[in-house]
Amino acid sequence: MLEHHDQAPTPPERVVVLGARGFVASNVVGSLDSAGVRVMGLPSAEVDLTSPSSVDALRSRLRGDDAVVFVSALTPDRGRTVATFMQNLRMGQHVSEALAARPCAHVVYISSDAVYDDEANPVHERSVCEPSSLHGLMHVVRERMLLETTRQSGTPLAILRPTLLYGARDTHNGYGPNRFVQQALAGAPIQLFGGGEERRDHVLVDDVSRLVSLVLAHRSEGVLNIVTGTSVPFARVAEIVVELTGQPVAIQASPRANPITHRHFDVSATIAAFPSFACTPLRAGLMSMIEASLRAS
Amino acid sequence: MIGYAGLTHLGLVSSAAAASKGFDVVAFDPEPDLVARLQTGHMPVVEPGLPEMLDEQSTRITLTADPAALGRCRVVYVSVDVPTDDQHRSDVTPVERLVHLVAGRVAPDTAIVVLSQVPPGFCRTHQAAVEAAGSRLYCQVETLVFGQAVARAVAPERFMVGCPDPAVPLPRALTSFLGAFGCPVLPMRYESAELCKISINMFLVSSVATTNTLAEICEVVGAEWREIAPALRLDRRIGPHAYLSPGLGVGGGNLTRDLATISHLARQYGTEAGVVEAWNANTQHRRNWVLRELHRGVLSRPGPVAIGIWGLTYKENTAVTKSSPALELIARLRDVPVAAFDPAARLDREAVAPWLRIAGSPLEACRDADALAIMTPWPEFSGIDPAALVAVMRGRLLVDPYGIIDAHAAARHGFVHRRLGTGSAR
Repeated sequence: MLEHHDQAPTPPERVVVLGARGFVASNVVGSLDSAGVRVMGLPSAEVDLTSPSSVDALRSRLRGDDAVVFVSALTPDRGRTVATFMQNLRMGQHVSEALAARPCAHVVYISSDAVYDDEANPVHERSVCEPSSLHGLMHVVRERMLLETTRQSGTPLAILRPTLLYGARDTHNGYGPNRFVQQALAGAPIQLFGGGEERRDHVLVDDVSRLVSLVLAHRSEGVLNIVTGTSVPFARVAEIVVELTGQPVAIQASPRANPITHRHFDVSATIAAFPSFACTPLRAGLMSMIEASLRAS
Repeated sequence: MIGYAGLTHLGLVSSAAAASKGFDVVAFDPEPDLVARLQTGHMPVVEPGLPEMLDEQSTRITLTADPAALGRCRVVYVSVDVPTDDQHRSDVTPVERLVHLVAGRVAPDTAIVVLSQVPPGFCRTHQAAVEAAGSRLYCQVETLVFGQAVARAVAPERFMVGCPDPAVPLPRALTSFLGAFGCPVLPMRYESAELCKISINMFLVSSVATTNTLAEICEVVGAEWREIAPALRLDRRIGPHAYLSPGLGVGGGNLTRDLATISHLARQYGTEAGVVEAWNANTQHRRNWVLRELHRGVLSRPGPVAIGIWGLTYKENTAVTKSSPALELIARLRDVPVAAFDPAARLDREAVAPWLRIAGSPLEACRDADALAIMTPWPEFSGIDPAALVAVMRGRLLVDPYGIIDAHAAARHGFVHRRLGTGSAR
């Protein structure tokens, strides 16, 4: 649940986005920039958060009236090893140390729904954090680091936990909308795990940016999942992709390697925090992604 | 002569019921202002039938703020409502004060009976002090149900009486009084009686939570809970009076207080009570059903949206708003124009929701509204023709969890009608 420190939306003085070249962060930067918000994106090339030197580098760039959006992480496609886990923790440590040395007006941490137990259903913000992966555990630990740091400085902290994301310029090629669109546009068959029965909630990355903007404008504090509240089977996602791309590609099932699991979310907290906010419906989101992909090609 | 100390909801209903059985009653409260208001016929609570019964029995009931008047009674009930805090924890201080006040004023061997709901251990803690003052301490499980309190007080299903030792017969004055109601009397030790009321409420909560869990399944698989519930009522193991109506979770102060009490006891003694957390989670989930329906229907649309609300109390036939789903909903609609009507709620609007507009009638509450949410099933709402809503509302969404408005009539007038436990609700 979020609590707003500013009931009336108030633009932040400046927003500093860490990891600014990433899939989510670049979208956040673009969205804030388009809205006329003063934004400073810090890519890893400029401030390498895995390095201890990043503490001073970040501290020297931060101002007391900044809002900091922390998105940087080595995602599972970059490795699921203990070494990757420790790298991610070090990034959290360095950001926490910089924020302790130079407290800011507001901190927004982009976490993940991987913090929850895979069996939780429906997931809500009060669900127990019991991650089944090092990636989820990393986010839990980072959340704790930031909670401790911001509690001591009295800085409001918003923790946002998005579920599966899709959208243009996604580099992860993970199973789901991104891969399905690329396969369809390439004229290749869409490969499902099993029959694609698993129901998941898919969020357009633009909606993450819209929510981040709202959280910044209200200087919100607390935890919020970024979800649509509607879970659909992967097979249905594939059907929509085929329909929207107009490509006569096959949707192919494969022998099932794992049991079918579903994930549903209770979206009440988002409605309570931002009653008029609504995520982009899946069909419309996929259409915008396909159009962007076609433009880019 | 029977005495009652504490003239809140419980004390007033119980005094009237005792008088209706032919007993002279001393109805005492330490607040002279409250007694003065009662003497002039001003009721501090909303309870159907209570003003009429108090009026009918007025010659048998002595309203007083003087505790010495209790000296004529051989049985004195301590009957003050137990307040709870925002964490639903009981504050038994008012009960303790009255027990000791009464013990110092009554004749020797008078039975002082705690009718207020107290947690396990209360009576054993105070037994010695009461006995040292020359009286005997008992407790009796109250089963007051707001809105049906008069009928239940006059014709109770049974009496459960907590005693220092259940093997020792109850005092004659107490058995004589209880016998006038013609129902079974179950003596038990203090602790059992204190836990008995909580046990009853836990079983009710389990029915509510089970019903709500299944009603939600109905909504997604196309089933209709109203078709299933009658079959359950005909099952002897479930019964005709089971709580099988879907609702917006567990509401009101009493059930939520008992849930908090059991959680507290389980933590204190290390017993397993995970089911209580599950019931609470289910309540929270179903409590937000109306919010989700409003979001799906109107709030997620671009442009300004206005919401009308019928009902602010936690249930019909009461003025109580504690743990009310309506107030929780309104708290979530801070930035949305909201107007509400309730026939009985006593609400400090400025303190609770200053952005809320209180309407003088149901139709005024939904004037120019895009959606109407019927949060309390007051009977008078069911008589309102959907045609009248067409005339005043801008939109055509009725979120009607309890099915107060006839779904077919609503559909004929172009409304989208959402009801708990109905397959069309998603």
